[in-house]
Amino acid sequence: MSDIILRTASLCRHYRRGIHEIRAVDDINLQIESGEFVAVVGASGSGKSTLLNLLAGLDSPTAGKVTYRNKILNELSRRELATYRAEKVGMIFQSFNLLQHQSALKNVELALYFNHIPRNDREKRAKDILIRLGLEDRIEHKPADLSGGEQQRVAIARALVKKPELLFADEPTGNLDRENSEAIAEILKELNGEGLTVVIVTHDTELAGRIAGRTVRMHYGKIAGGESG
Amino acid sequence: MTFRDMIDISLGNLRRMKLRAFLTISGVVIAIGAFVAMLSFGAGNYRYVSDQYEEFGLFTTMIVYPNDNKESDSTNATLLDRDALEKLGKIPGVRLAYPFDEFEVTVTVGDSLITSKARSLSPEVIKTKLFSNLMAGAYFHSDSSNETVVTSSILNELGYENGEDIVGKVMVLSVKAPSLDSALINIIVQEGEPIVERLREIRFDSLFNTEYRRKIMEREFNEGIKRFIQGFMNHQITISDTLTITGVLETTGGRRIRSTGVIIPEETARRLSHGSFGVGSDPTGLFAAMKSGHLFSFGEDENYESYPQVTLDIDPYINYEIIKDSVESFGYRTFSFAEQFKEIQRFFMYYNLGLAVVGLIALVTASLGIVNTMVMSIIERRKEIGILKSLGAYEGEIKRLFLMESAVIGAIGATVGILVGWVVSRIGSAILKYIMREQGVPVFEPFALPLWLIVLAFSFGVLIALLAGSYPASRAARVDPVEALRGE
Repeated sequence: MSDIILRTASLCRHYRRGIHEIRAVDDINLQIESGEFVAVVGASGSGKSTLLNLLAGLDSPTAGKVTYRNKILNELSRRELATYRAEKVGMIFQSFNLLQHQSALKNVELALYFNHIPRNDREKRAKDILIRLGLEDRIEHKPADLSGGEQQRVAIARALVKKPELLFADEPTGNLDRENSEAIAEILKELNGEGLTVVIVTHDTELAGRIAGRTVRMHYGKIAGGESG
Repeated sequence: MTFRDMIDISLGNLRRMKLRAFLTISGVVIAIGAFVAMLSFGAGNYRYVSDQYEEFGLFTTMIVYPNDNKESDSTNATLLDRDALEKLGKIPGVRLAYPFDEFEVTVTVGDSLITSKARSLSPEVIKTKLFSNLMAGAYFHSDSSNETVVTSSILNELGYENGEDIVGKVMVLSVKAPSLDSALINIIVQEGEPIVERLREIRFDSLFNTEYRRKIMEREFNEGIKRFIQGFMNHQITISDTLTITGVLETTGGRRIRSTGVIIPEETARRLSHGSFGVGSDPTGLFAAMKSGHLFSFGEDENYESYPQVTLDIDPYINYEIIKDSVESFGYRTFSFAEQFKEIQRFFMYYNLGLAVVGLIALVTASLGIVNTMVMSIIERRKEIGILKSLGAYEGEIKRLFLMESAVIGAIGATVGILVGWVVSRIGSAILKYIMREQGVPVFEPFALPLWLIVLAFSFGVLIALLAGSYPASRAARVDPVEALRGE
């Protein structure tokens, strides 16, 4: 029996820009099983990042719903939604989104500030995950002193340190060279192999096909097709 | 996110923008510094006055006056005589009731001869706080001992610099006591114009004329009164006594005994001041005796005395208003230092309020700097807010984080400001004390930094900073994480 961790029903996210209505996400029905690796592909402006933000509870739908297990995200209070992001979700961004004035360690620790993890445990857990991702020599380095690949690994460490159920990655290799892209892809694949549910947004269909179990293609806010990897 | 996490993040952010933080905090420092310096001046003055009241036992002192109100029902009830003294002493809460009967004396110590004022006190009264500032020697030992305590106000006049030097010396105290005889004789034989001369001027045949008779009666009656008082005041006998000086009282700041040069035991004083007459040399005593009808009853009641005022030493644990009501119910007027102090407290409240308003204006100006800094900070840190939200921070936490930054600015500014205010008050104190010394006035500490002022200044600093930070913090909490993360 399949274990659906995330489900969308007639999910819409429409914007109004002056007199124009932009249908970033339009009537999407999607089911993601626990432990699945889903890649959302599509051209720029197809709505894949918006979909990811809706799934991660960063954005609210204008219609339809997102259900995490039995909880409808758009019916949760802001605080409950923040708790969902803090405890269940890890996020990786194309531009890493690290705090430039903080060390790699502090950036990773920051993810535990909202999880009620004791201070002493936070540092240990952050160090452990950085070491696991091969950054033991970069723990006290600030993002500006790290390469793109290293920064993205710090971002992955930050996403993983709280042991989420869901990992959302928005163009995680978009700013990386081929070698680093491959390394990050391998890490994601490995994490998924350990049972983590991964949803990745990318315009790189080749990468998506190679690492994801399932690919969802978006076109102008709608699902244009899907295929199994 | 714990409280400590928020402080760490806030301090980290302030360290990142050092110059801006320094300038913003400087505004708070100046405002709090001015606030503290101004209020510490008010606090210092208040403390000085309060200490003076406490030191001289003024909170437990009440002065009672006879009531001169002509509408008073009973004439006798308003006079302060021995009966009244006894009555007042029995009021619950009154520990001591003693009269104020200061009189002029001539003091001779060695070769020095001065005129001063003396008052009598019982040994138990002189030991009350009001007279507690003994700078040398001891109090006199009994009510009738031939001993005296002098005050420092006459020390220099007598040629002494140190109180210790005069203790043990012999003083000849002379007092001019009024004589009833001299007052009566003066009616009959005034200097240069005996009464016979005046009688010769009267045309006896005209006394049948009512108008002439009224005029003569009126003129002679007025003249008689005038002569009586002149005789009372001017033709007095001198009584002297030899006393040993046992101690010296410090009078600097001691308001109630500043005019008194010599304090003598009650019985000794009675011997001196009333040697030949039932009332004191003070004209008020004469008028009181005349009013009461006791002027010529000296022989019948040797103990009759009337005082211009009576001092009550009251129990500090009993509300002075209850005692005041009891005293006034007898028909007397009262003056309470505790009541006066209430007025002083009210004055200082308005005074401090005025100073606080000026300080608060500076603080409000500084708060605008905080608003500006925090708004700028939010604009610059939109992405950071987006990251924190993506990591699970909810709006309340973001708001608290920015409020904490404002509070840290306020707390640092207030702490340094209190120190600056203290330094300013020390400088001000040194200058004012120098001026006081130069002008020969008693030197006191005009500034004070009580705990309540430190707490108030710190609280104001943090509170104003929190108020200033509340709008930017609300703005930060409302930042859309999607927009913030996209807008890189």
